Amino acid sequence: MKIKPVIFDKIQTSHTSFVVDLTTDNNITFIMGDSGVGKSAVFSFLQEIAAEDKRIRCFNYLDNKKNYKTTIKKSKGKLFIIDNADVLLDDNMRHYISLDAENQYVIIGRNPTGLLLSYDELYELESTKEGNIVRFTLKKCNI
Amino acid sequence: MITVYKKKNIPKGIELVKLNDIYFNKYTVELLDERAVFYISKIDASEYVSKYMIKSRFGGEVLNIDKLSTGCKTLLNIFYNPDIIFDIRECGENALDLIYALPEGNIYCDYPLISFDMTVVRVAEKKEYRIIDEYDELKEWWASEN
Repeated sequence: MKIKPVIFDKIQTSHTSFVVDLTTDNNITFIMGDSGVGKSAVFSFLQEIAAEDKRIRCFNYLDNKKNYKTTIKKSKGKLFIIDNADVLLDDNMRHYISLDAENQYVIIGRNPTGLLLSYDELYELESTKEGNIVRFTLKKCNI
Repeated sequence: MITVYKKKNIPKGIELVKLNDIYFNKYTVELLDERAVFYISKIDASEYVSKYMIKSRFGGEVLNIDKLSTGCKTLLNIFYNPDIIFDIRECGENALDLIYALPEGNIYCDYPLISFDMTVVRVAEKKEYRIIDEYDELKEWWASEN
């Protein structure tokens, strides 16, 4: 279900010499791409803003045995940032997320199957160096 | 060559690891040696400094080796633990290309996940192993019910 972001159209934070500046065009932002480009690093930086903003919840492989599915299904008005999505999101959760217009999602993984996304909803991380600062942004996935 | 397993064909008694980050951080890290340098450089563009440290591609900071990407950790798990099967579903294309070129190791995924650079693999059938040297044949084997 392709809709505009319901919580944030920009997600910005900084962590020492790293700046995260993500523009979200759609309610589900799926970030894929090569290993080692900084996806999980960005996730860890976003965990810090989740500590300050109750609207943001973050899940990764460490939550594998926890009740994250129930949390998502009971929530409204949240931005869920999910790393290791290939491990955490089964077919049922993908279907639920694809139809959820109450919450927004940033999903980091490899396989977008089941989320009903079109190619222009798939993104890769781009990093640029400006002096000592490394800036992470999103670019459309090159498929 | 690597060996590819599907869910139904995993022999009893062989461990299947799905959470590669945790396995790497707890076990594989203790096995690393100079052979890891190449893979860490190729996948994460980082420099292996010592057993527990890498120099990041971003700004050159020295970081704990737990900051390697999941794809790189998965490859190192496969490389250093040839008696265990590792799930490759979180690997990016760059990690996949190198995994399919490993001299040995065991991989698993629920669905076909194949490097375009693959040359030859061994696949686990129910009671025996078979050699496959074509992308399309491997994809067909992986997607089939048997």
